[in-house]
Amino acid sequence: MRLRSFLLFTAPTLLLMTALLALPLATTFWLSVHSCAPQFDLVTVQQSGPFGPRELTTQRARLDSRGHPVENCKFVGLSYYANFIGLGGSASGQAADLQQAGAPEVASGTSNRVFLAALSFTLLYIAATTPFVIFFGMTLALCINAMHRRARGFFISASLLPFVITPVVGALCIKWLFRDDGLVAQLLAIGGVHIYWMGQAWSAQLLVILYGIWQVSPFAFIVFYAGLQSVPQDTLEAATLDGASGWQKLRYVVLPHLAPLIVFVSLIHIMDAYRVFEPVLVLTKGAFSTSVQYLTYYVLLQENNPYKASAAAVLTLTGIAILLVPLLRRTWREQRGLA
Amino acid sequence: MKPLGSGRFAALTLYAGTGLWVLLACLPILWALVISLRHYVDAFASPLRWFAPLTLDNYRGLWVEREFYVNFLNSVIVTAGAVSVSLSVGCLAGYAFSRYRGNAGFWLLIVALVFRAIPHSTLLPSFFLIFDTLGIRNSMFTLILVLVAINQPFTIWMLRSFFMNIPNDLDDAALVDGCSRIQAFRKVIIPVMWPGILTTGLFSFLLAYNDFLLSSALTNVEMMTMPVAIGNSINAESERLLMQGVAGAVSISLPLLLLIAFFQRQLVAGLTQGAVKG
Repeated sequence: MRLRSFLLFTAPTLLLMTALLALPLATTFWLSVHSCAPQFDLVTVQQSGPFGPRELTTQRARLDSRGHPVENCKFVGLSYYANFIGLGGSASGQAADLQQAGAPEVASGTSNRVFLAALSFTLLYIAATTPFVIFFGMTLALCINAMHRRARGFFISASLLPFVITPVVGALCIKWLFRDDGLVAQLLAIGGVHIYWMGQAWSAQLLVILYGIWQVSPFAFIVFYAGLQSVPQDTLEAATLDGASGWQKLRYVVLPHLAPLIVFVSLIHIMDAYRVFEPVLVLTKGAFSTSVQYLTYYVLLQENNPYKASAAAVLTLTGIAILLVPLLRRTWREQRGLA
Repeated sequence: MKPLGSGRFAALTLYAGTGLWVLLACLPILWALVISLRHYVDAFASPLRWFAPLTLDNYRGLWVEREFYVNFLNSVIVTAGAVSVSLSVGCLAGYAFSRYRGNAGFWLLIVALVFRAIPHSTLLPSFFLIFDTLGIRNSMFTLILVLVAINQPFTIWMLRSFFMNIPNDLDDAALVDGCSRIQAFRKVIIPVMWPGILTTGLFSFLLAYNDFLLSSALTNVEMMTMPVAIGNSINAESERLLMQGVAGAVSISLPLLLLIAFFQRQLVAGLTQGAVKG
């Protein structure tokens, strides 16, 4: 294919991705070092009340010719960033006067390191879910692979359910199970475990992690299951002839064959887990833990401050850039090998 | 691989264990289904009630009083729009990426991979600014285009790998016979691409249908899609609202259940597409 027809065929995609991904990303960087506020004028108005006329000085937003409020933008440098990672307290920071009072959930107490808090939970979430996702996915794949061919279809379908369910709905369903008067919470209470699951940090975080494992394990399962279909049969038979036990065959034949897939699933999951959002919103409402993606969303929609939100977004992007390096290197090698 | 144990006991353990596991995995949805058919007092009763009188009140309240059908229609419009635009734009690009050998193709694919990793909320502040300036913030058309753009990197990669399975000889033959590139693409390649298009379409469907973050931020009350409407019951304090949220959760999941039932094979094929090659 010649370059001209390549560009012709890809033009719609490139246009879309430039306009709605690349351009907004560049804008985010610009927004994150600025702060805008509507410009107010002092006006004197005549008021007449029951005690006679009087003059009152008040503020009024200045409007341009089209009736939109005029905004004053100024460069604030890295002050939002400094605030997010705890450098420069809010009292002395340049952005302090521009910053609106954050809700207690996010900017609680004296510490302003909301981003670091969000980042540390996001990393905890990644570290806690990844091994379980791999383990459960692998176990399920081995179990279903050992079944009769006709029984597999049903089990595959049923185990896919958590993966395709709407994330917000899945998280809500788990929340309903763990309410104080929900099914699982009550069953656990009968077993002697009395916990207000959404009442404190550690248990709410545990629920978010549980949700993550529940939702992503089917993906790992499907990938491993597909990998199991191509395990070299003659090697397995040779191992059987040599008197290898089931465990030995798994350890020395099957797992080495699946190793690249384990790497693949881990990389994809780490990338996706970094974006965890819905369970944090539903299960903790940001009260006990925030994820980096939740932080941007909250600052934007609740604090209504797109400039501060942009700074959170840029910090988030920095994190994903670091996480992406191994995946990019892997793809690089593969694609160069193909070409 | 051979079955793990050959004994009858081992087989029984295998089926019972896996069955129990899968049941546990489906429990959140199954229990939501059960309590969606109950009154609040029975649904969240203490002590627990295994059996309780059934009622359709929650569904009636949701679909008739709360006019959930509006949200349903919004979801249909957004999802159908996103899937069709995504596939038409993506097929053109995926085909080009599979046939072009130059450096530009390689670099653009890498850029697409980077875009795929972007957390969606990082785009929102700029979206607000840009869409407000252009006056297109609360519009379904905007939401559809945003969903398409967000999904494009994934779509391109997946379609490209399906197109790579179609031998080059096919296009060459068509070109020799006097077709232009676009004719070869339309008349020769697309007819054999349907399985790939169906699989990719399923994943585009899931993304658009399940999206909460972008849909909740970019639409107003009249344009709420189903996930956004249900998401509002996160903070529902009233018992009626909460129970309608449960009914909504079940309602939104039913199409997904049908999807798994009919398209299991394609879903599996799509999920393993990137993996098995690598």
